[in-house]
Amino acid sequence: MATTAPKAGAFPSPYEIETPPGCEGWEEMYPYYALFDERRRETDEKRFWFWNSMHFPVPMPAFDVVCIDSPYQAVGSWQNRVFAVPPAMGIDYRCVNGYIYISGNPVTDPAKIAERAEFFQKRAGYYFQNWSELYGKWRAKMEALIRELGELEVPDLPEYEPDEVAFGEDRNTAFYELLTAYGRALRLGDLMWQHHFEFLLLGYGAYGTFAEFCKSNLPDIPDQHIAQMVAGIDVLLFRPDAELRRLARLAIGSGVDSAFVQGRTPQEIDAELSQTDAGRAWLEELEKVKDPWFNMATGDGLYHYYRSWLDDPSIPYASLIGHISALQGGEQIERPTEELARERERLADEYGALLDEQSRAPFNDLLALSRTVFPYVEEHKFFCDYWFLTRWWNKIREFGALLARHGFLEDGEDVFQLSRYEVASALDELVLTWATGGVPLGPKHWPPIAARRKELLAKLNEWTPPPALGVTPEAVTDPMTIMLWGVTTERVHEWARQQEGGSVLAGAAASPGVVEGAARVVKSVDQIGDVRDGEILVCGSTSPAWAPIFSKIKATVTDVGGVMSHAAIVCREYGLPAVVGTGRATAAIRTGQTIKVNGSDGTVTLLDGQGSS
Amino acid sequence: MTAYTRPLHGLSRSDEPRFGGKSANLGELLTAEIPVPPGFAISTAAFAAFVHDSELEDRIASALTHVSAGDIDAIARASHAISEAMRFAPVPEAVRAEIAEQYAGLGKDSPPVAVRSSAVGEDSQDATFAGQQETYLWVRGIEHVCDAVRDCWVSLYSPPAISYRLRLGDSGAEPAMGVTVQLMVDADVSGVMFTCNPVSGDPSMVAINASWGLGLAVVGGEVTPDDYLVSKVTREVVREHVHTKDVQYVPDVGGSGAVRLAVPEEQREVRCLDQPALERLVDVAKRVERYFGSPQDIEWALARGGEQELFVVQARPVTAVAKKQPAAKPESAMSLIMSTFGAGPPKGD
Repeated sequence: MATTAPKAGAFPSPYEIETPPGCEGWEEMYPYYALFDERRRETDEKRFWFWNSMHFPVPMPAFDVVCIDSPYQAVGSWQNRVFAVPPAMGIDYRCVNGYIYISGNPVTDPAKIAERAEFFQKRAGYYFQNWSELYGKWRAKMEALIRELGELEVPDLPEYEPDEVAFGEDRNTAFYELLTAYGRALRLGDLMWQHHFEFLLLGYGAYGTFAEFCKSNLPDIPDQHIAQMVAGIDVLLFRPDAELRRLARLAIGSGVDSAFVQGRTPQEIDAELSQTDAGRAWLEELEKVKDPWFNMATGDGLYHYYRSWLDDPSIPYASLIGHISALQGGEQIERPTEELARERERLADEYGALLDEQSRAPFNDLLALSRTVFPYVEEHKFFCDYWFLTRWWNKIREFGALLARHGFLEDGEDVFQLSRYEVASALDELVLTWATGGVPLGPKHWPPIAARRKELLAKLNEWTPPPALGVTPEAVTDPMTIMLWGVTTERVHEWARQQEGGSVLAGAAASPGVVEGAARVVKSVDQIGDVRDGEILVCGSTSPAWAPIFSKIKATVTDVGGVMSHAAIVCREYGLPAVVGTGRATAAIRTGQTIKVNGSDGTVTLLDGQGSS
Repeated sequence: MTAYTRPLHGLSRSDEPRFGGKSANLGELLTAEIPVPPGFAISTAAFAAFVHDSELEDRIASALTHVSAGDIDAIARASHAISEAMRFAPVPEAVRAEIAEQYAGLGKDSPPVAVRSSAVGEDSQDATFAGQQETYLWVRGIEHVCDAVRDCWVSLYSPPAISYRLRLGDSGAEPAMGVTVQLMVDADVSGVMFTCNPVSGDPSMVAINASWGLGLAVVGGEVTPDDYLVSKVTREVVREHVHTKDVQYVPDVGGSGAVRLAVPEEQREVRCLDQPALERLVDVAKRVERYFGSPQDIEWALARGGEQELFVVQARPVTAVAKKQPAAKPESAMSLIMSTFGAGPPKGD
């Protein structure tokens, strides 16, 4: 983050943030290096930190910190050590009251920047030139990784080792196998994050360059037109819902649609279906769809409680019920893919024709390259954040279940209240006492820790983090901060102004239209059931897996995200106004408050002071 | 016959030296099948005949003798003297006869027309300085039409027009001017539009200003018009500002001319263009721009009555557009991507 003539004052110092009452000792959940430590106050206090509410909207459970460390290890490796993005190294993070603040590390020495530029041009150039081939290999690599994760066994600790251990060639005892499995599980996670970021910077960069090019030559072009020209029509991420639509048609075609009644649980629906031949046939078809298409997550995947559709079928079933009742009502539920494809080409042709001759070639080349990289930009979420990660959390749950069986935890799910090192430590003691026959201390040690931390997280969840900490930068120049988080100079200055109050929030105009209505503030995915028809969704950010709620709401406002964020994409699909990247909508707006969302100019107006927190 | 007048239909760019830019442009628009109210053009020869027949040359020349560019009082005196002389000179009979015939061709019962000066040999920005922007609206009857034509001619000797020509080093003796006479649209809503955003320079936008009544209120800057920015590509409104429009010009019911009225209270804050109207305007804007091959500044009107028929009453090249600094040399896609990552020359904006 480049800061010339830094300005203090607007945002609080990270060292002045108070611990909410009853949350004393929250620091124990996080690694020492994640804290604003007095020993580095000198440097940390002078930096600009912004709350990464896009990825971490709620306080981090201790285990989930792995989903900060690994991604930032991986993204920094590619950005700083492989591609050597000239002016920006990686991202530092710090934790305050359980919330994650981040800050980029700039390269300021011109000689160093020039040196890095040589690496970057050569290496990034290679990726851009061979994109499709490299991406094909990437997909194969990810599928293999997901397979390996599935095959990773979490061994139990037997009373007696089986004969193979005594007589076989490959003789490992369970203590070694269990520790190895845990270590391997962690490494597989690291590997996924490494793959996750291999293409991400370059993909976003190509798209971002196209978007910038459009805005500089066509200053008033709506952001959604830029996205429409690039976005794929028949992309992987739409497949899960496309399969649900197909299943909805099948249900009607085979006369089993009467089972899909609003308010029924998936189990109740399955039970009714399994009574008839047609119903059983439909269930068989559903089974075929599940792998891989039910590996969608119910959230963006960075928290352990974002499960997959396989784990929580209520979300796909809610979609099925919606699709079926729409079909019964004679509605058209297909995405008009041909029409979308034609419109995409028409926009590209017309905008291209409006440009002067000198600009037309770079426009066409940038558009073509953006379209080449876009499958990765859209699809990596499915492979990494959804498919892999939901299965990976389940693998960790297996270790949690083992610890629970041995009394180290009250509930297997409590494994996520321990850090990954603490889990390693608990497993160490477990295999030690299993081996020695001694009495473990773990059952007395870990359950109270897990219980305390659950309470801490619940209390920290009530706290509202400021959008940024530290020194307000004169200008945001870090290309990664701008590209990945949409945190621009204007955005930061808007946040700073808002720190002093005000009833208009500004963000990016992500999907056009103006509506007024009651706000529903949703801080995490498990609250989406509270959303009522006709409300305006106000949240940190969304993922495509929130799909069912978009048919209920009439607009979306998010804290973080750009015009390529999921909220933006889905709202355009549904024709709902959306303002994204307001920085503090979930803090400034209360459920029930009347707000006006202007998705055309990117503003949200708070119309009354009412609402409940 | 038709030495002095021609129907607008059939005029082209090449007629500009004889009929002036406005008439020539309207002829081009009609050729492009843009809806333009019918009318006729009066040539520069008509003005020359007027000066010649009433023997005004010497009086003009002598009034301008010893007048220098900076001498404001002298210019005012000369302007007054010439204007007085012109105002009492008759429109030559041959010219008058042609005007009468063309006028009769526009409709029965003395149809209302707009009479405007049509400048020659100067681009529109210069014409503004030259005072050749006279417009007389809702003119009815051959007498009033001839008076308005003469008033346009007189405007060539307004003080700013004289001093403009003096500054150019022109003798000031023989300026030329055409006049456009066009059937009047009783506008419900009217305004101007640019086929680009003149502020940002975005060529994919049409910037539309609109207010109630005849175009005078918008063109003369007497109201803050509604302001719409509409995409040429999708015809969606990208930005709009509806302003309070408190005055409008409407035809003088009893006779000739337009009167300035207060807009009824309940209409002032109302958005004066709906989506279908905006779409029709954008479509016409695109056609006009495509025909001329450059950004256009278009005056338009929506006729009162059920259909709100759309007319273009004037089009000219946009003169002042914000232009982004052209890149020193064309940049390739890859070099642009490199500069996104700070691995190339700094971006040229």
